Amino acid sequence: MTSMPVARRRRSRPVWRNTVVGWSFLLPNFIGFAVLTLVPVVLLFYYAFTSWDVFGGAEWTGLANFRQLLHDHSFWTALSNTVYYTLFHIPLTLAASLVLALLLNRKLRAVAFFRTVAFFPYITSIVALAQVWNMLFSPGYGPINEILRAVGVHHPPGWTTSADWSMPAVILVGTWREMGYYMLLFLAGLQAIPTQLYEAARVDGATAWQRFRAVTLPGLRPTTFFVTVMLTIGSFKVFDLILVMTNGGPGQSTLVLSQFIYQKGFVENQFGYASAVSIVLFVVCLLVTVAQFSVNRRRNA
Amino acid sequence: MDTLLDARPGAPTAAAFRGRPGRRGRAVRVLGYLALVVASAAVLLPFYWMVMSSLKTNNDVFTLPVKWVPDSVVWHNYVDIWRKSDMTTWLRNTLTLSVAVTVLQVFTGSFAAYGFAKVRFPGRDVLFLAYVATIAVPWQSYMIPQFILMSKLKLSDTLWSIIALQAFGAFGVFLMKQFYESIPDELVQAARIDGMSEYGIYRRVILPLSVPALASLTLLTFVNTWNDYLGPLLYLRSHSIWTVQIGLKSFISTYNAEYALIMTGSVLSVLPVAVIFLLGQRYFVEGIATTGLKG
Amino acid sequence: MKRSIAVVLGAAATAISLVLAGCGSGSDSSDSSSGPVTLTLAGWSLSTTPEFKTLADGFHAAHPDVTVQLKEYDATNYDTQMIADLAAGKAPDIYVQKNLKNFYTYQHGKQLLDVSDVAKGLGDKVGGLSDYQLGGKTYAIPYRQDSWVLFYNKDLFGKAGVAVPDGSWTWDDYVSAAKQLTARLKVAGSKALGDYQHTWQSTVQGFALAQTSGADLTSGNFSYLKPFYTRALDLQSSGAQVSLGDATTNSLTYQAEFGKQQAAMMLMGTWYIATLLAQQSSGDADQFQWGMAPAPQSDKSTTGTSATPVTFGDPTGLGINPKLGKGKVAAAKQFLAYAAGEDGAKALAGIGITPADSAAVTDTFFALKGMPTDDVSKFAFAKHDTKPENPVSQYTAGLQNVLNDLHTAVMSGSKPVDAAISEAQSRAKNEVLNK
Repeated sequence: MTSMPVARRRRSRPVWRNTVVGWSFLLPNFIGFAVLTLVPVVLLFYYAFTSWDVFGGAEWTGLANFRQLLHDHSFWTALSNTVYYTLFHIPLTLAASLVLALLLNRKLRAVAFFRTVAFFPYITSIVALAQVWNMLFSPGYGPINEILRAVGVHHPPGWTTSADWSMPAVILVGTWREMGYYMLLFLAGLQAIPTQLYEAARVDGATAWQRFRAVTLPGLRPTTFFVTVMLTIGSFKVFDLILVMTNGGPGQSTLVLSQFIYQKGFVENQFGYASAVSIVLFVVCLLVTVAQFSVNRRRNA
Repeated sequence: MDTLLDARPGAPTAAAFRGRPGRRGRAVRVLGYLALVVASAAVLLPFYWMVMSSLKTNNDVFTLPVKWVPDSVVWHNYVDIWRKSDMTTWLRNTLTLSVAVTVLQVFTGSFAAYGFAKVRFPGRDVLFLAYVATIAVPWQSYMIPQFILMSKLKLSDTLWSIIALQAFGAFGVFLMKQFYESIPDELVQAARIDGMSEYGIYRRVILPLSVPALASLTLLTFVNTWNDYLGPLLYLRSHSIWTVQIGLKSFISTYNAEYALIMTGSVLSVLPVAVIFLLGQRYFVEGIATTGLKG
Repeated sequence: MKRSIAVVLGAAATAISLVLAGCGSGSDSSDSSSGPVTLTLAGWSLSTTPEFKTLADGFHAAHPDVTVQLKEYDATNYDTQMIADLAAGKAPDIYVQKNLKNFYTYQHGKQLLDVSDVAKGLGDKVGGLSDYQLGGKTYAIPYRQDSWVLFYNKDLFGKAGVAVPDGSWTWDDYVSAAKQLTARLKVAGSKALGDYQHTWQSTVQGFALAQTSGADLTSGNFSYLKPFYTRALDLQSSGAQVSLGDATTNSLTYQAEFGKQQAAMMLMGTWYIATLLAQQSSGDADQFQWGMAPAPQSDKSTTGTSATPVTFGDPTGLGINPKLGKGKVAAAKQFLAYAAGEDGAKALAGIGITPADSAAVTDTFFALKGMPTDDVSKFAFAKHDTKPENPVSQYTAGLQNVLNDLHTAVMSGSKPVDAAISEAQSRAKNEVLNK
C-alpha cells in the first residue's frame, strides 16, 4: 500500500515528533482503556499464578494452575469444542454476511426494511432466540424433525438434545444470529470501494465474477481482516449463546472455554485456576490474531 | 450471480438484470423479492414468536405442541409492564447511557485509530496488538477486580460506571483503524505537504471520508450499550439509575418465571433499537464512497 | 511523550494499588454498642418475596432499638452480585446463603462470621443447621428448610381410577402408578401423563444420595445412582413422563406442567406450595384438588406413617458479614436467632414459607386458604428426615458439575448409565478430588 518515496519522506520526519503526535491521538481512548481494562487484565496474569479466591486471598502457587490444566480432561474437552465451534462458525458467518452485504448494497425497493430484518437476529433477545430455535429443534415435537420425517428420514437427529448434533445446531444458530452484525461491517466496507474501479473494470469487459475478484474482494480486504479477527475472538469467547441454548450439554458435548472459566471461577470458587484458563484463551487468541496480522501484512505488501 | 457479485453502491436493480428480455427480467425480479420475503419471514420467526408469546397468558407460553397463534389475545402484559414498572425512568437512563457511550466511543475510537493507522511511531504495532488482544479476555474473568477498582474510584452505582466501562473499548479503535487503512496514504501525504496539521487531516480529510464506518460503529455501539445486561447488573444497584434491560429482567424475576412478561419486555426493548437501525442504515446507501486517488 | 507515558503509568499504578488494597480495607466503623443500631440485610425481589420484610419487621417489633434495612439484589444473579460486593467491601451486614452450593465459597473466602454461639442456643429443632458446620464451627443459621415431597392431582387420580399415594410407596409403586395413570388417562381422553420429572439433576440424584445407605458424594463412587437412573429412563421411554430433551427444548416449567394438569404427579420441593396456592387463586393454574405425600422410598423400612420418610432439600440460611461494625455483632446474632427460632418460624409460615422449624408451624400452614386438609398431606409436610442435596465440602460444587453432565448425558440417551457413571467417577477423581 505504501509506495517507496512516501515511506522515505516520512522516515525523514523526526521520530520523537511522530511519537508525540501519535500518542496525543491515542491518549483520550488509551487512558480510559489502560485504567479500566488493561489494569484488571494485567492483574489476571498475576492471579493466574496464585490460588486467588476473589476476596483478596491470593497465595503464590507458581505454575500449579497450569500443571493442573494439562491434566484436566474437561479443559481439553472445552478447548476442542471451542476449536470445533470456531472452525465452522468463522467461514460460515463470513460467507453468509458477505453475501447478505452484497445483496443488500444496492437500490432495491424496501432495502432499508430488508437490512433491518437481517440485523434483527442480533438485536432480538438471546433468550427468545434460543427458545425458538430449541422449539424448532425439539426432537419429538419440533417442526424441523416433522419435516425430516415427512420426507422419509426415519431417525432424524436429536439436535440440541443429542451429543453428536448439539454442536452443529449451536453453530447454525450462532451463524444465523451474527450474520447481520457482520453484514453491517461489510456494508460499511463496500462504501469505501471507489466506484471508478468498477467502471474501469466494466470498460475493460470484465464479467461480474471477474469484477468481484478483481475489485470487490481486494477493496474489502481491511474489512474482511477486521471481521475475521473479530469473528475469531468472538468464536473463541462464545458464551451466552451456548449458555442459553444447551448449557454445555448434553454431557459435555458443547462445553466451551468461557463457560469452563465461569464454572471454575464463580461456581467452584477457583478463581486462580479460572484466571489461568483465561490466560490460555488470551494466548490462543493472540497467536491466531498475530498470524492473521502477518498474513494480512504480507498480502498488503 | 450477476446481482450478487456486482456490489456497486446504488446499482439500480434494472441494471442488475440488464441484457435480458423485459418480461423475464421482471419475473426474475419478482422471484428475487419473493426469496427475500421468505428469507425475512424465516429470520423474523423468533421475533414473531416473541410477539405472540407476549400476547399469551404465562402458562400458555411453553406447551406441547407449540402454539404459534394464541387462543385468545391477552394485552394485559403490556399494560402490566407499563403500569407496574418504572419504564420511563429506565428508558431515559438507557438512552442517556447509549448516547453518551456512543459519542465517546466514536470520538475517542476514531481519534485513536488515526494515530494507529496514519502516524508511525515506535511501539505502535505492539501496543495495537495489546489493544486487540484484550478483547479476547472473557469479561467474567476480570470483572471482579474491575468492580473493586470502580468502587474505589467511587464510580460504582452511578451511570458513570457504565460510561467508563463501555466508552473506551478496543472495538471502536480496531474498526476505525481498519477502515482508515483503506483510505490511501497518498491522500494524507498530500495534505501534509499542503501544510495541514495531523489534527486538521483527521478532521477535514479522514472524517468526511469515513461516514459509513462511523455509522456502523455508532449503530453497533448503540445497540450493544442498549442491550448490555451484565454490566448494568453488576454496577447499577439503585432503582433510579436502572436501564431498560436490567429493569425489565428484575421486574420479570420478581414475577418469577413469567415467560409471557419476559417476552413482553423483550419486544419493548427491541423496538427502539430496530427503529434506530432503520434510520441509521441509510448512511450505507447514500454512498459517500471515497473518490479515491484524485485527492 | 515521556510525560504522557508517565501519566499513563502513574494512573495504572494507582489503579493497581487500588485494586490490591480493595480487599483488605472496608471495615467501616467502630461505633459504640449502646443506642439504636441499624443492620442491613440482603434480599431479592422484595415486592414479591415478602420473607425478608416479614423477618425485618418482626425482629424490629421485638427489639425496637434495632432497625433492619433491606438491600435488594437480583434474584437470579444474587451470588454474582454478592461476591462482587463482598470483594469490594460494600456488602450488607447480614446476607442470605441462597443455596448451599455457594456456602463454601463464602466460608472459605473468610466472608462469614463464626456464629456457633447462636447455633448452640437454638437446640436441635432447627432443620439444616448441621449443613452449615465446618470444622466444628457454624457459619450460618438456616431460617427456611424446604424438603422434597410428592405433589399429586386428586382429580386426575380420580379420573384414572388409581388409588392415591398413602405414604406407603416405594419407587416401584411410583413407577407402576405413573404407567397406570398414563394408560388410563389416555383411555379417559385426557392428554395428561402419569408424572412430570423436571429437568434438574436433583430430581434423580437428590433422592439417590439421600436414600441410599452409604452413599457419599465426596467418595467419588457414584454407583448408587444406577437404580434411580434405570427407573427414570424406564419412565421416560415408556412415555409416562415427558423426555428430558423435550422438556429442555421446550423450556417446560414445572409450575405449568402440574398447575395446568399436564401431569398427575410431580416430585418437587415444598416451596412450590406457596406458588401453587398463588397461581390457583390468580387463575394461572387450573382449579383442581391436590395433595402431598411423602416422596417414594427405596425400601419398605421407611414407608408408612409410623416411620420417618427420607427425602432431601437444602436449607436457606443467614450469615453475618465479618466486616460489619463491632457494635453490631450482638444485634446481628440476635437477628439470626430470631429468624431461625419459633417466632420467626410462625411469621414465615403465615406467608406460606417452610421455616427451618417446620413441625412447630404445621397448623398455621394448613390453615392457609387452598391447602389440602388430608392427613397424608400434613404428614408429608411435617415429618421427614431431610438430607442435604449439597453436603458442604470443598468438592461439592465441582462434583455437582460433573454429575450434571452425567444427568444430561444419560437422560438424553447420549450415554448408557454404566458408561456415564464410570466416566463421571474418573472425572471426579482426576479433576475435582485431587485438589
